[in-house]
Amino acid sequence: MLRDDIILKAVNLKKAYRVGDVVTWGLRGVNLEVRRGEFISIMGPSGSGKTTLLNMIGILDKPTKGDIIIDGVRVSKLSSKEMAKLRNRKIGFVFQQFNLISRLTVYENIELPLVARGMKRHLRRRMVVDALKMAAGDLTWLKKKPNQLSGGQQQRVAIARALVNNPAIILADEPTGALDRSSAKAVLQTFVNVNKHGQTVIVVTHDPEVANCSNRILIIRDGIIVKEEEPCWDKCIINTVK
Amino acid sequence: MMTSVVRGYGSYVESQLLGLGQNTVVVMGTSEYTLTRNDLDYIRGLPEVDVAEPFYLTQAYIQTKEGRKQVYVYAIDYDILNKAIGNLKLEKGEYPSLTDVTSAVIGHFVAFSESTGAKLFDIGDAITILMPQVKSGGKVTFTRATVRVSGIFEEYGGAMFVSPDTGIFLPEKSGKSILHMNSWSGIFIIVKDPMLVDSLVKKLRSTYAGKVDIIAFQQIAKVVSSITGAIDFIAFSTSLSAFAVAVAGTAATMITSVIERTREIGVLKALGFTDSQVMWMIIAEAILMSLIGGLIGVTLGLGGAFVMASRGLSISSGVSKLVIKAPPKITPELISYTMGITIIVGIIGGLIPAYRAAKIPPAVALRYE
Ligand SMILES: Nc1ncnc2c1ncn2[C@@H]1O[C@H](COP(=O)(O)OP(=O)(O)OP(=O)(O)O)[C@@H](O)[C@H]1O
Ligand SMILES: [Mg+2]
Repeated sequence: MLRDDIILKAVNLKKAYRVGDVVTWGLRGVNLEVRRGEFISIMGPSGSGKTTLLNMIGILDKPTKGDIIIDGVRVSKLSSKEMAKLRNRKIGFVFQQFNLISRLTVYENIELPLVARGMKRHLRRRMVVDALKMAAGDLTWLKKKPNQLSGGQQQRVAIARALVNNPAIILADEPTGALDRSSAKAVLQTFVNVNKHGQTVIVVTHDPEVANCSNRILIIRDGIIVKEEEPCWDKCIINTVK
Repeated sequence: MMTSVVRGYGSYVESQLLGLGQNTVVVMGTSEYTLTRNDLDYIRGLPEVDVAEPFYLTQAYIQTKEGRKQVYVYAIDYDILNKAIGNLKLEKGEYPSLTDVTSAVIGHFVAFSESTGAKLFDIGDAITILMPQVKSGGKVTFTRATVRVSGIFEEYGGAMFVSPDTGIFLPEKSGKSILHMNSWSGIFIIVKDPMLVDSLVKKLRSTYAGKVDIIAFQQIAKVVSSITGAIDFIAFSTSLSAFAVAVAGTAATMITSVIERTREIGVLKALGFTDSQVMWMIIAEAILMSLIGGLIGVTLGLGGAFVMASRGLSISSGVSKLVIKAPPKITPELISYTMGITIIVGIIGGLIPAYRAAKIPPAVALRYE
């Protein structure tokens, strides 16, 4: 029961970037345990390794050393096809720059993870609609192209896309970095709702008012988690912005 | 599409081999040698010869509703004409009797306008034929003859030597009495077996030693076949280099498109698309791209083929000029072959960019600006 409760575990995670002869350490040994249903925020100065850590957790990149266990599955043992499947089923990504595909409609963007999964067209519709509702989106957006929406609206579409497959973990890298305060508030409101729904949320942010909405704040410096801080719910953006 | 035009000519020649010519040889008199009864008897006596009949041929003009029109007037035995030109059928009327020297069977485009299809002459109509004659001093005078239409041939298309569509065919006896020609233009020979054509031609050449013109359609056909064969080869090698260019073009376009969309590919992989799914998406796109290109190409090519073919291939030797107008041979096979090649171009051209795209680690792709 206790073991099952750990949705994500990182063991002595190291990542070296090699550019020519120069080696930069993105991560120098990160240990991390995240319980199912937690809402974690990661803070730290620029270049401290936040994105690198999130990429490792999301299996977007391979660690130089160490291992990651997601829902009991040891990632280093997986083939690239199995990794793709794990990303598809267990993880939902939200990026700072939304990363919606501009040629596709909102509907088509949200259904992409279901297409990757090979789900039948008629089954997808309901899931797309549910996900957009969950992300506090408006169903009139479905036929539109992403560039017809505001930044905050686009980010909610991106969240719907991350949610559509009902993944266990939502990973967000500075999801409010490109948004104004009220859009940022709407995005955090969505994360809090999703988290109440049982999904694990991990958010990288520079914004203390975002970090304060989580259960745990991890501080990372020079590729190592240096400390943990207690968030203050009253200072969460949901409560500070009208 | 070059191929379709060339194959069009090639198959035209083949069809001519089957229709007219396979076993037909024509001996034409010249200004220095007049063919006579003796020549006819000699030719008929040769073992290779099945039938031989003399004929008169002259170029002439006729007056129609649409103005003056150039025609060829033949005075020839109808039986040998039918033997020489397969599939020549009357669409209307009948052959005149051998002694009815003023009755003629006319070609389809004598009876109907070539441009508008309007009827110019019908059965029973009289046609006045104007035959130019160059008198000493370069003066041209016209000899007139009036004939009555007794039959009209179906449209035949291009034919070698004889052009049924623009011909007026009179009985052999008309040559002297109506056309006022004092000697035969030539002798039409049907050989017993196509295999014997070469030996007959050899014999005639040695007998007449260049004093007469000998036209063996089988030999012309061989030459045209070898020409179209050569062109076909050129077209093939052109296609081969075009194929290489198309593959390179597709690859270049796809590489650009893949680089532009590196970030998008990163997003797709982050969402759980596998390497092979990404690869197939890009290959499918390359195929689609080359299919669109192929469709445009085929459309332009078809247009070009028809234009080229409608201008025809003309072969001239001395006085006789042969224009082959054959419809380009565009078969469903040729089109599916072209489309198949197009798909192969798409696959080959898309393969490397697709493989590259699929192998980029998603984290790297996502950092791409
Ligand atoms: N692909 C890469 N190649 C080389 N070095 C890299 C690469 N990605 C990250 N780094 C380096 O690794 C370190 C950590 O980078 P990372 O992007 O994880 O920082 P971050 O905490 O996300 O910073 P920011 O807040 O600016 O987004 C930095 O020194 C960075 O220069
Ligand atoms: Mg970062």
